[in-house]
Amino acid sequence: MSSNMASSSAGSGDSSAARKNSKRPKYSKFTQQELPACKPILTPGWVISTFLIVSVIFIPLGVISLFASQDVVEIVDRYDNDCIPAPARTNKVAFIQGAAPKSCNRTLTVTKRMKQPIYVYYQLENFYQNHRRYVKSRSDSQLRSPKFENQISACKPEDDAGGKPIVPCGLIAWSLFNDTYTLSRNNTPLAVNKKGIAWKSDKEHKFGNKVFPKNFQKGNLTGGATLNPDIPLSEQEDLIVWMRTAALPTFRKLYGKIETDLENGDTIQVTLQNNYNTYSFSGKKKLVLSTTSWLGGKNDFLGIAYLTVGGICFFLALAFTIMYLVKPRRLGDPSYLSWNRNPGGGR
Amino acid sequence: MVRSSSLNGDSSASHRRTPSRTVTLGHIQPQAPSCRTVYCNDRDSNMPVRFKGNSISTTKYNVFTFLPKGLFEQFRRIANIYFLGISCLSLTPISPVSPITNVAPLSMVLLVSLIKEAFEDWKRFQNDMSINNSTVEILQGQQWVPIPWRKLQVGDIVKIKQDAFFPADILFLSSTNPDGICYVETANLDGETNLKIRKALERTWDYLVPEKASEFKGEIQCEQPNNSLYTFTGNLVVQKQTLPLSPDQLLLRGCSLRNTEYIVGAVVFTGHETKVMMNAMNAPSKRSTLEKKLDKLIITIFCVLLTMCLIGAIGCSIVTDREDLYLGLQKSDWEYHNRLAIGFFTFFTLITLFSSIIPISLYVSIEMIKFIQSTQFINRDLNMYHAETNTPALARTSNLNEELGQVEYIFSDKTGTLTRNLMEFFKCSIGGISYGCGVTEIERGIAQRNGLKVHEEERSTGAIREKGFNFDDPRLMRGAWRNEPDPDLCKELFRCLAICHTVLPEGDESPEKIVYQAASPDEAALVTAAKNFGFFFYRRTPTTVYVRESHVEKMGKIQDVAYEILNVLEFNSTRKRQSVVCRYPDGRLVLYCKGADNVIFERLADGMDDVRKVTREHLEHFGSSGLRTLCLAYRDLDPETYNSWNEKFIQAKSALRDREKKLDEVFACNLINNDMKQFIISSETDAIREAEERGDQVEIARVIKEEVKKELRKSLEEAQLYMHTVAGPKLALVIDGKCLMYALDPSLRVTLLSLSLNCTSVVCCRVSPLQKAQVTSLVRKGAKKITLSIGDGANDVSMIQAAHVGIGISGMEGMQAVMASDFAIAQFRFLTDLLLVHGRWSYLRICKVVMYFFYKNLTFTLTQFWFTFRTGFSGQRFYDDWFQSLYNVFFTALPVIVLGLFEKDVSASLSKRYPELYREGIRNSFFKWRVVAVWATSAVYQSLVCYLFVTTSSFGAINSSGKIFGLWDVSTLVFTCLVIAVNVRILLMSNSITRWHYITVGGSILAWLVFAFVYCGITTSRDRNENVYFVIYVLMSTFYFYFTLLLIPAVSLLGDFIYQWVERWFYPYDYQIVQEIHRHESDASKADHLEIENELTPQEARSYAISQLPRELSKHTGFAFDSPGYESFFASQLGVYAPQKAWDVARRASMRSRPKVPKK
Repeated sequence: MSSNMASSSAGSGDSSAARKNSKRPKYSKFTQQELPACKPILTPGWVISTFLIVSVIFIPLGVISLFASQDVVEIVDRYDNDCIPAPARTNKVAFIQGAAPKSCNRTLTVTKRMKQPIYVYYQLENFYQNHRRYVKSRSDSQLRSPKFENQISACKPEDDAGGKPIVPCGLIAWSLFNDTYTLSRNNTPLAVNKKGIAWKSDKEHKFGNKVFPKNFQKGNLTGGATLNPDIPLSEQEDLIVWMRTAALPTFRKLYGKIETDLENGDTIQVTLQNNYNTYSFSGKKKLVLSTTSWLGGKNDFLGIAYLTVGGICFFLALAFTIMYLVKPRRLGDPSYLSWNRNPGGGR
Repeated sequence: MVRSSSLNGDSSASHRRTPSRTVTLGHIQPQAPSCRTVYCNDRDSNMPVRFKGNSISTTKYNVFTFLPKGLFEQFRRIANIYFLGISCLSLTPISPVSPITNVAPLSMVLLVSLIKEAFEDWKRFQNDMSINNSTVEILQGQQWVPIPWRKLQVGDIVKIKQDAFFPADILFLSSTNPDGICYVETANLDGETNLKIRKALERTWDYLVPEKASEFKGEIQCEQPNNSLYTFTGNLVVQKQTLPLSPDQLLLRGCSLRNTEYIVGAVVFTGHETKVMMNAMNAPSKRSTLEKKLDKLIITIFCVLLTMCLIGAIGCSIVTDREDLYLGLQKSDWEYHNRLAIGFFTFFTLITLFSSIIPISLYVSIEMIKFIQSTQFINRDLNMYHAETNTPALARTSNLNEELGQVEYIFSDKTGTLTRNLMEFFKCSIGGISYGCGVTEIERGIAQRNGLKVHEEERSTGAIREKGFNFDDPRLMRGAWRNEPDPDLCKELFRCLAICHTVLPEGDESPEKIVYQAASPDEAALVTAAKNFGFFFYRRTPTTVYVRESHVEKMGKIQDVAYEILNVLEFNSTRKRQSVVCRYPDGRLVLYCKGADNVIFERLADGMDDVRKVTREHLEHFGSSGLRTLCLAYRDLDPETYNSWNEKFIQAKSALRDREKKLDEVFACNLINNDMKQFIISSETDAIREAEERGDQVEIARVIKEEVKKELRKSLEEAQLYMHTVAGPKLALVIDGKCLMYALDPSLRVTLLSLSLNCTSVVCCRVSPLQKAQVTSLVRKGAKKITLSIGDGANDVSMIQAAHVGIGISGMEGMQAVMASDFAIAQFRFLTDLLLVHGRWSYLRICKVVMYFFYKNLTFTLTQFWFTFRTGFSGQRFYDDWFQSLYNVFFTALPVIVLGLFEKDVSASLSKRYPELYREGIRNSFFKWRVVAVWATSAVYQSLVCYLFVTTSSFGAINSSGKIFGLWDVSTLVFTCLVIAVNVRILLMSNSITRWHYITVGGSILAWLVFAFVYCGITTSRDRNENVYFVIYVLMSTFYFYFTLLLIPAVSLLGDFIYQWVERWFYPYDYQIVQEIHRHESDASKADHLEIENELTPQEARSYAISQLPRELSKHTGFAFDSPGYESFFASQLGVYAPQKAWDVARRASMRSRPKVPKK
């Protein structure tokens, strides 16, 4: 240690040793805080051109998406109220829970040519499929593999029927939508294809092809639809669609698709079985027929939003330009400095 | 027994005497028994007592205590406790989120903190090991055997070689030096680099060689281990002879041996019982004002959280409908009946759900940012590196970086600090004649201000300039003084300079090569001056001072004279003078005295009033030209007077009461004040007010000498009145210590404070350290403004600790101020860089970081909150657990740190050029509630945009095959938009965008996508509801996804963009205007560092050379600066990095203070 010290001390005469001994911090851009940096200043030029660029990009995009949305033809029919016979409307819940026939006929008119495929949706409103109690009441592992049939802890209260596990368990499956639609055009039945309505990933990975419904709807409470116990879950696409729970209390679910074109003026008869009880929580039920564009279904919002934002930006660009021309503020005007505005203001 | 009891009394008395702060380490109980008996060189006899070993451990934890203790430390933070509570809540079934959501970020934060702790402790452990394993030679049998320090035991006889450190507290027995003395350096104890003399008892001088030393069988009876560094009482019993021991015989661990080949000693205290170890204590940590405000913000956020939960809970209890069949509510469920219970439980559900509103990683991030700021930026700033003393700046704490950006009042020690304490002999006045023809900077400055042309002093070619000497007058130099009117007086003056001091010479005994080790630079300057006048002091023994006198009898004749020093009365701040009684070889007895003018004048013999008057005038003249003054006097003593006095002196060590014969020389040192000027210039236009700043102002209201309170009050009021009537913009208050004593009285305090606050500067002269601290806390507590104290000496310690921010000048006056400070800089002028650049930036950065944290967590949580409204207030989570938990610690963590490191509004040079920008920090412009409100609005807006736009537009089919999104598709889409918007927001708020910004922002977004790809792509066998399985792929298969991804972040940021633009255009901040003024200038201000450092102007080269002189031989001065601690000191020797730990041994009242010469 002493030799160490001696050398470090004797260094002052020797320049190289002195440099080694120097505590002078090494230069680096990082430690001296001189990293090359871009220093954006919102000058009028920048601001106006930013606005212009945004509007130039957004307005065409808005037009495109609005066009796409305009191409879509959508027929919406609310039937929950009308499908209750007039005398029973005072107590809808009693009707829907009763044994009376629930068949109901609706007539839809096509106002614009609809190219196939035409998608059939049911739309529920005021149905909290995103309720915490509801969302968690499922068992994904049970759905995936028969091995996990007994994993039903999350499924309460629809976990078992008489001690035997329900497959698929949980409130979501239990409340499966069970209205059915039969469509015909000019008295010729329109085939509704119920295959390929679920996301492929759900079908292939989340719902096992060896899992069959068991004890379903055998509990104390009557729920929604029943399932054919001979068809594996991966083929029960209605269930798969239903179990991809919706984000909001108003939602659409895909029911099937019609693979023929519908012409303008066609009338479509819908024979529906109004089984599903939304009346106790005053939920609405709607039937929707819709075509799609490359951007999806009828969705004016996106186009309008793009157009609005683009428009606002354009307007702002214009407004700022005018303001800048009319009443310019010199960049870096020292009179704006606080100590120039009110001298002695430091006190 | 009698002996031991008396010892006890002694030691306790010594405890009372020393007013030092008694800090006892918990595990050491020094009470029983009252004294310790050590048998030297006899391990067997010492065995039964079981003294502690010499190994030390400074680690906080060991393997077993690390986890519990470390976790306990972590949970002392309120945010961590909160998250622990939330995590516990999330384990219960009422939680909507899986525990992972809260546990993951908490454990991440804890992990990072614990790793940091473990790392630091590991370093400490390594240091301990390297210390414990350094070797020392001990006597075994008849020879020296090297053993590691840790094996050293009490009673061992050890041999310490030159420059080595004492491994324990050692009783000094013998030395290779004659007279049994040795020199020690105590830099690690108190930071003082001058050498101290220790003297062994004469009885033990012979035990030097191993053969002889092995015969030594002494018994040491001494006090129990204690923390008082300057006391030691005990007895050495050798061969039935009892010899009293004093601190002179004790060599303390941590000191090192100098100028002595080797010494032999007996170990008295070891390991943790050594005095330095018992003195170890942690520096009290200060919290910055901003952090306290941050706490308020957190509390506000917490209130917001509670409000949100309350709204949710009420909503839930109203909305929950037992008719919602699909919820499967049955009559047996409690929810079916009790709405109150529903609300109650929902409240806690929502607390766990919204917990992310409290930014858990905020504290950790800020800590990290501040740590890097202080270690990488402040400590390594080349602008604050002082080449002459080889000292970089040192941030001793990283807590207060941003506090530096908000300082409103600066308390500065006067001349010493301002002048860098470079003392030069500049002028003198002998017997009424003034000598020295230099012109001080202040005189030059005054002349310039008065429009006079400054005639540059022509130096006579032979003028000698060296460190400490800047005097030129042909009347005195080269022996010419012999022709002056009173050569004898001159001779006495020079002798006084050469004899009356406590300087130690080091090195070669030739005038060119000698180096003076002095406690303070003025002492060294005086001795140097004497040397240049022909009185070369070259050797000191404990009893004699050797002076080589030339030109005394005859020009050119050289004569070595040995003066016997009979008594030295050292300087202290109450006596304000230092005296030496010496005997000439011819037997003449003289008392030499030097000290402050008032004490010397008081003691002058009567008569010679004219000389006295002239000298006073000279003093005032010197003082007004900015020089420090010192008066010297001597008196011839007759042997009888001396003997009787000496008896009294020895008996009582009472103060000297002799009237001293008049001798009126005045000595002065030049202030080198170019440093200071620069700062004053910037502070004149600056909002910074310098209390205690030197005069130099336009108007000076003088309030002095009124000793009666009433009069003082009257004058204070008068002054205030005067202030209101006079429109002069700059006023200074001058108040002296005596006056201040009364002014600080509670009844007058308020008046003084309000008066002071209205002045541009307040000068307090001749104040005691305590008063300095009182004034500081008066402003700190009374005005509630942020204060900064800067000082360099021991007398500034109290002031430094009293202020919000304490700055020590790591200059020449020792290390006490640095030890007590939060930041240490080498030069006063570096304060400009520290405050205007680092402080301002740190403040700006921390504000932005805090605001950004607040914003990003609020935005995130609000989307969740909006969603709650559409779930029937059920508390359903919107995001996947992992998304939520990683949002804070992963997807948005790095850009904000980059922001906290690299954000710059204007460059360093512009910061200094526009010191007014600093006002933004004082006004706290960036952390006002208004700013918080703006950010909160932005958060509400963005969360609404993200949430509403996605939920509205994703209602129908979203691709050509008519498929519909589920909950998790929508939430993942919102999350993606949010991650992009929040990350890009960083770029929008940055004034300086480096490539690290791009990398981290891009990286964070990319990290999110990669995570999503992986996370959505895997299935696990665990019972996890794979809600998000394949979601990202589903999303990315649609055009809709890309359309929203462009639209939503753009719309959310557009609002902020417009706000920023409007603010800049109509209500610009000062810095924005400055940016605009200099928008075309590239930041080329600093690229010239390297050249600056290499090319020294001749002037700089000279001062560099000068500054090197005294330090050269002090072989370890460097250590004093970079190692505030004892442990890191050793570590730096071995090349181990040591984390700074405040081994604060410097704070004690018994600190030596330097001779302080009051400024005139």
